[in-house]
Amino acid sequence: MSMHSLMFGWEYPPLHLGGLGVACQGLVRGLLSNGVKVTLVLPHESETTDTDVRFPSDEIVQKLRVCSMLQPYNTFESFEANIRKVPKNKKDMYGNDLGEAISNYTEMSVKMTEDLNPSVVHCHDWMTYEAGRRSAEHHNVPLVAHIHATELDRTNYAPNEYIYQRELMGFEAATKIIAVSNFTKNMLTKHYGIAPEKIAIVHNGSIDRPPSPELIEHKRILKKQHPMILFLGRLVTQKGAVQFLEMASLIHKEQPEVNFVMAGDGHMFEELVDFSCRHGLQDSIIFAGKVGSMEAKQLYAQADCFVMPSISEPFGLVALEAISHGTPVILSRQSGAGEVVDDCFQVDFWDTAKMADCVMTILREEPLAHQLRSYAPRTLNKLTWQRQASHVQSVYTDLIHC
Amino acid sequence: MNPRICFYFQVHQPYRLRDLRITEVGQGKADYFDSEKNHQIFRKVAEKCYLPANALMLELVEKYPDFHICYSLSGVFMDQCKEYGPDVLESFQKLAATGKVEFLAETYYHSLASVVSLEEYCEQVTKHVRTTEELFGMTPKVFRNTELIYNNEIAQIARLMGFNGIIAEGADSHLEGRNPNDLFRPPTFRLPAEQEKIVRANRPLQKRARDIAVLLKNYKLSDDVAFRFSDKSWVGYPLDAGTFTDWLMQSGGKNANLFMDYETFGEHQWEDTGIFDFLRELPAIWQERGIQAVTPSQVIADWKKEHTHEYDVHETISWADMERDLSAWTGNHIQDAALSSIYALESQVKGTGNKGLIEAWRRLLTSDHFYYMCTKYWSDGDVHKYFSPYDSPYEAYRRYSHALADLRSRLSA
Repeated sequence: MSMHSLMFGWEYPPLHLGGLGVACQGLVRGLLSNGVKVTLVLPHESETTDTDVRFPSDEIVQKLRVCSMLQPYNTFESFEANIRKVPKNKKDMYGNDLGEAISNYTEMSVKMTEDLNPSVVHCHDWMTYEAGRRSAEHHNVPLVAHIHATELDRTNYAPNEYIYQRELMGFEAATKIIAVSNFTKNMLTKHYGIAPEKIAIVHNGSIDRPPSPELIEHKRILKKQHPMILFLGRLVTQKGAVQFLEMASLIHKEQPEVNFVMAGDGHMFEELVDFSCRHGLQDSIIFAGKVGSMEAKQLYAQADCFVMPSISEPFGLVALEAISHGTPVILSRQSGAGEVVDDCFQVDFWDTAKMADCVMTILREEPLAHQLRSYAPRTLNKLTWQRQASHVQSVYTDLIHC
Repeated sequence: MNPRICFYFQVHQPYRLRDLRITEVGQGKADYFDSEKNHQIFRKVAEKCYLPANALMLELVEKYPDFHICYSLSGVFMDQCKEYGPDVLESFQKLAATGKVEFLAETYYHSLASVVSLEEYCEQVTKHVRTTEELFGMTPKVFRNTELIYNNEIAQIARLMGFNGIIAEGADSHLEGRNPNDLFRPPTFRLPAEQEKIVRANRPLQKRARDIAVLLKNYKLSDDVAFRFSDKSWVGYPLDAGTFTDWLMQSGGKNANLFMDYETFGEHQWEDTGIFDFLRELPAIWQERGIQAVTPSQVIADWKKEHTHEYDVHETISWADMERDLSAWTGNHIQDAALSSIYALESQVKGTGNKGLIEAWRRLLTSDHFYYMCTKYWSDGDVHKYFSPYDSPYEAYRRYSHALADLRSRLSA
């Protein structure tokens, strides 16, 4: 009998805000191509919105849609803002607060899958943990709790107690936890008191392909008057947006010809604009706002160096995206991506002087830049979703057969 | 007849670079090296390896008449002894005073000069020979190049320098089934006149040697001790001195050459692996079985030249990594850039006559700097990582490139 994974998802492309949706999709596709049957339950913003996700084996993934207002990166505050847009009569349906909405989501999603016969239940991040727990209990099968980002990552260690407790409940209920990095595994053992042997690490895969030799060569011979250093991510504390600007101002002092681009939006936007003006960066920096995937690709390709100064980054898919455009990367040591990328600089997020030094070294030393551009993409060949999904599959196998 | 044993130990510590910053380049701060870290590592290794190992060796050579050993101390190691470890230097001097310990010549800065700059190469070997004479009261007659880097030319150059022996890796591809325990000689040929002239002008010893013998490392038996001794997944684990002696005797030939890093004792293989006890037992067992441990010079003194095989090595070999070639130090973009950039400054640096500048430049020639930049990522990558004081090859290059940039700015000032 083939393996059947009942999966409780959270977000899914094209309706997604962060890395979780992309990772979830990659994993599902990988599992499918390895012959695992997947039933995926997804919350939707409303019952009329169609995610319209299609891929070759669409018929095998049974997507069951659950009415819910849930969105990733929800906080209680933004949830309220959201829900106020919904007509009054619908509001009752979703519940008055996030907690109630989740319990509705949980109720419905468990109910609509109760007649399935899965071999394992797999849930992604805290919003789905209760659904996963109940479903696994109902079907009497092992529960896998996948952790893509913790509340501590998102809140700079000042968690919402309700969410933290939800996460903890999921970790404790799980038969096995899958963390997206060793960094996250450490987070769970250190701040959630989870036994290390309960946690398997499966790094995210990547759908990005290595850059063409022509692009690498083009970048090698290109001489720019104004090199460009790129940040791409939400403008929030977690992503190290302030650290990026600190680094930028240090570089600006030495090399005023260097330009900086910050792509992304977030509540810190004004603060960051203010910071850059105070440090005389106004003519050297562009705030690009939230960019679509085509714009992002162009920025990656144009950048002479991509910096990910995150304060707490469970994985950091943007690093792999930058690498796939032949761009040297500097990663915060407080990130999971650094565990899989050999050819990069890694710096503690607070050490912005060293970060600046790494950028300037890359700009000065062409052999170094060339090597980072051409060697780092080897990681992409190793980290296919098919391969990463097979690691997940062996977690399943271990659980089912023991 | 049983083979004799030839124990040779490489002793070396590089000058590691400090966390240089681009903002310091051209600011006239001359010091590129991390004296705190270098001091700290030297003392750590001294306590774990050099002092206890030397004490044990002294005890053994004094106790067993047929037990001789051989070292090569890099010049930068001897410099660090003066700086950080007079006690270590003294313990080597005590060993030298027994008359049963041979010291080999090498490049003073443990450099790759042999494959880049002949003139610099000769100067470094000369400086090393003079320093060895000064510190240990003996003139080296046998040569070992940095990390056993070797080819036919290097052998002939060593002969022209005046050495009658050279040690090299016993690489399977060049042994062609022959036993590394036999003595070999390089093919005979004349070097280009230009090269001969350079060697003549910078010869470390008084006159060229008529012939030169090649002693080959028996890498299987050497690595049993150096790498596998504490490996619990190895079939030979745990290795005891009796079994190892059996293997040595079974290996045949005239002399089994066990060449390894001295740091094997106590540093790569910690004391609790039993490596010191193992070492202590060997000469006792050897004496019991009538096995001699001799120095390379003793091996060469008994050389029956007419029966010597030729060791013909066109491409360059070494004892590093699985490839046993130059790929531990060269081959990726950052290594090649660093190597060519530093040697490109040779004539300019020497032209200044500025001793401090020349010394800084030479300390940057040490092969370890390039070793740390290696990005081969299979099993050997782990070895490079183990030895590196930096967290990545790119960090190694970052520091190195700043030192280079500063050197250039001092030259143009």
